[in-house]
Amino acid sequence: MSGEPANRLMAVWRRLTHFGRASTFDRELDEEISLHIEMRADELQQDGMTRADAMARAGREFGSALRVKEETRAAWQFRRLEETLADLSYAARALRRNPGFAAAGIFSLALGIGANTTIFSLTMEFLFSEPSGRNPETLAAMRIGGNSHAYMRHYRFLRDAHIFAGLAGSNEEAESNWRSGDETYRLHAMRVTDNFFGVVGVPLAVGRPIEPGDRDVVVLSDRFWKTRLEADADVVGKALTIDGRPYTVSGVLPPDHRTVLGFGFSPDVYLPASRENDRVALIARLPEGMSLPEAYGRLTTACKELDKVYPPEWNPQASWVTNTDVVPVAGLARLRNLRMVPFVAFFSMLLIVVGLVLLIACANVSNLLLARASTRRQELAIRLALGAGRARIVRQLLAESLLLALLGTGAGLLLNLWLASVLNHVQLPLPIPVHLLIQPDWRLLLYSAVIAMASALIAGLLPALKATRGGVSAALKRTERQVEGRWNLRGGLIVMQLAVSVVLLTMGVLFVRNMTKSMTMSPGFDVDDTVWASVRLVPEKYPTEEQVRSMTSAALSELRALPGVESASVARVVPLNGNSIRGDQVVADASAEPVRVRFHNNDVGPDYFRTMGIPILAGREFMASDRKGSPEVAILNENLARRLFGDRNPVGRTFRYPAPSLSDPITVVGVAANSKHFTLGEEKPLAMYSPYSQGAGGNLAPHLLVRSSRPEGLVREIARTLGALDPSAAIEVKPMRNALGFALLPSRIGAALLGSAALLGLALASIGLYGVLAYSVTRRTPEIGLRMALGADARAVLNMILRESGALVGLGVAVGLGVAVFATRPLAMFLVSELSPTDPPTFLGVIGVLSAVAAAATLAPALRAIRVDPMTALRSE
Amino acid sequence: MIEPEIPDLLPGTLYMLVLRALARGPLHGYAIARRIKDTSANALEIEDGSLYPALNRMLVKGWLQAEWGISENNRRARFYKLTADGRKQLERETKQFEKLVMAIQRVMRTA
Repeated sequence: MSGEPANRLMAVWRRLTHFGRASTFDRELDEEISLHIEMRADELQQDGMTRADAMARAGREFGSALRVKEETRAAWQFRRLEETLADLSYAARALRRNPGFAAAGIFSLALGIGANTTIFSLTMEFLFSEPSGRNPETLAAMRIGGNSHAYMRHYRFLRDAHIFAGLAGSNEEAESNWRSGDETYRLHAMRVTDNFFGVVGVPLAVGRPIEPGDRDVVVLSDRFWKTRLEADADVVGKALTIDGRPYTVSGVLPPDHRTVLGFGFSPDVYLPASRENDRVALIARLPEGMSLPEAYGRLTTACKELDKVYPPEWNPQASWVTNTDVVPVAGLARLRNLRMVPFVAFFSMLLIVVGLVLLIACANVSNLLLARASTRRQELAIRLALGAGRARIVRQLLAESLLLALLGTGAGLLLNLWLASVLNHVQLPLPIPVHLLIQPDWRLLLYSAVIAMASALIAGLLPALKATRGGVSAALKRTERQVEGRWNLRGGLIVMQLAVSVVLLTMGVLFVRNMTKSMTMSPGFDVDDTVWASVRLVPEKYPTEEQVRSMTSAALSELRALPGVESASVARVVPLNGNSIRGDQVVADASAEPVRVRFHNNDVGPDYFRTMGIPILAGREFMASDRKGSPEVAILNENLARRLFGDRNPVGRTFRYPAPSLSDPITVVGVAANSKHFTLGEEKPLAMYSPYSQGAGGNLAPHLLVRSSRPEGLVREIARTLGALDPSAAIEVKPMRNALGFALLPSRIGAALLGSAALLGLALASIGLYGVLAYSVTRRTPEIGLRMALGADARAVLNMILRESGALVGLGVAVGLGVAVFATRPLAMFLVSELSPTDPPTFLGVIGVLSAVAAAATLAPALRAIRVDPMTALRSE
Repeated sequence: MIEPEIPDLLPGTLYMLVLRALARGPLHGYAIARRIKDTSANALEIEDGSLYPALNRMLVKGWLQAEWGISENNRRARFYKLTADGRKQLERETKQFEKLVMAIQRVMRTA
């Protein structure tokens, strides 16, 4: 029936209008009832009764006017709602009367809920935040031929094929030098094709975006505009000198701009990608209704056309179709991408961990409510005896936990806002600019509401059911000791809490140990006596490779001349700070069969190994004579040497690349010790080093490395020396120890987040444990007094108490350890290989900490109990 | 909320009876009870206590409207009258009730 909901709504509306005229209603109802009774009396009088008798009879027939009025009024009321409100106001009064109880409950829940909502916000930001743009769900990132970025000519070919509603490109690793006054700063720029803003639909706060045909315009990020240009209101139209050229500011992005890449990546500026050798990651706007498989189909068809015009440069026989993929950039679909698995796993784990923290907090509140319920036993018994339904009383008790949960959630949300602003301002030690942008939104509110309801139920239901169990007679008994056994609900809660905190602590300790292990782990190169200077030269100033070469060698000789410098070298990639992985076929002269290997391929200058402190095990270092034009040489690390040449001595032997055409033989001149290249956790990396001037001489962003016995003291001198050489170059100098920040970041984040969650869990569980054990010992004070009065030995009584809580604690810890052994198994993917998830010291440490807390919680009240004068104790009975 | 019991009446028929009593024109509360008693030749009697809650629930549902007027013995009284929705509801309930009664009768006669 279509009219039904409308009728319902009207009924609700009629009830609402009743609120305004409740007193009129009561008066009119009185009038109606008395008229009814009088009319009946009139009738009876006509039948011959006296007026008085008739009135009395009519009144009797009508029954209880009070009840009729109550029921009639009920027709107009929202009975449930009003009862709930009454329950809540009753609960509020109860909480005001017990401020300590209320504070403990709210505090526990606020911590638990604050931690939960913050991790939730973080998860949403990382996994579900959408790039700024029109309909991000119809945007898709594309790779062709397995390459993350395509050359401009390939991009233009695909764009002009018009297979999508739009195809744009962006390069996120475009560093640029910004000259301001006498200083040159390094900027993190995003180079985008001129149609990028149009295709993605990026909104701007001020001005206009980069538009087709634009060459020398720049769009600023809000952060750059505010922190570097003092939020200049007239910035649009002004020029910035970037890489030696003036760029006109065309617009400024809004503060909540999110890049297509996500993960908080936030470049300082957007520049047009106009140079022919720029490479761009492809992003397409799919036409309305086009599915990803359809898009993939169109892309591969276009790739086959591309093969004809521009065959893949690494192998003309190969096709751009291989390893081509199309992935969504927003929403759940993005998460199905395989590369997202570790992130999804990590955040799922975090959510589970803080869920456990909340569970502990709920158990605390549950325990508090149980303790309070036992003091309110008689009140409840009287209400049950007066005929209140059990459901009604359970509802009323739940109102109390609901109120606690609401207050706790309120406080938790404040905590969340504060933590989010702290997180938003965290400067991560990353080589790329990452800033989090966590904002409260409807998802957070919804999540908080769900969490509040869940906590209210989890914390309140058990105590409420328990308090009303057993009916009137059980409840009316003056004390509860007769009713409860030793293994009661509260004991069960302790065991549960302990078990959960054992699991949490195990995870936390594992991650903290993981961090200390990673920090003390040797990366295989010396970080203590090395300084790292990264230089970025302005491309416009160095049009030829020769100019770059002479600048690089001039810089090196100036550095070598500085007092205290033992050696200096140059590298294309600084280990643990950039990816140099390469997959290729290699044929060693020892065998005819090519092997496919994935290895780290760095280009390094003479003295690199000496400067970095990596031992050369056989053969020699690169020398100045290994230059462009001289025979090609290479140094292998032990792993790759063994892989290609087995147990033979590789020095003097050669290898070749069979594709695209068989290369000239490359001679192995040395074997270097194994070291870390990309991550600290990597196992048995293969690596090949090539002479810098043979492969990377024209590199505009060389990393200069300096070995010295006083690295910290040299930092400023190096910066000054390099700055004098070319004032337009952007220079950053730091001791190599700081350079480990990036490599250590994952383990530090893991340790910080899980360690603090574990500490929070432990703190909450300790408070709960202490409260419950202390309470149960205090309750037994009379019994202890009696035993002491009857001549029991203090030590025997103490032993008894310790044994009993020891049994509880032991059970809890045992259950927790059992669970932890399995729960920590999937963590192996986040840990360094030297650390097993079932690391015995971790488990022993956790047992130790929890036992200490439990012992403290039991001993203090137990000692107090045995010191109580037996007579005082007995009198309290 | 628990609906009050209606003893002596078939469950669920109170609304129908009240609607029927009002079908011929507005009446006040006592007159509604009287009408049902009279037309049923004293066989049906609405318990006074359940009449007013039922009337008010029907007001909420929008089947009835109430207005103050003057009773036959010149007293101020509250008159209830059917709305269009109330008339539809009466038709619906009457049909359902007739079906039910016929079905029961069929069972009782053939058994």
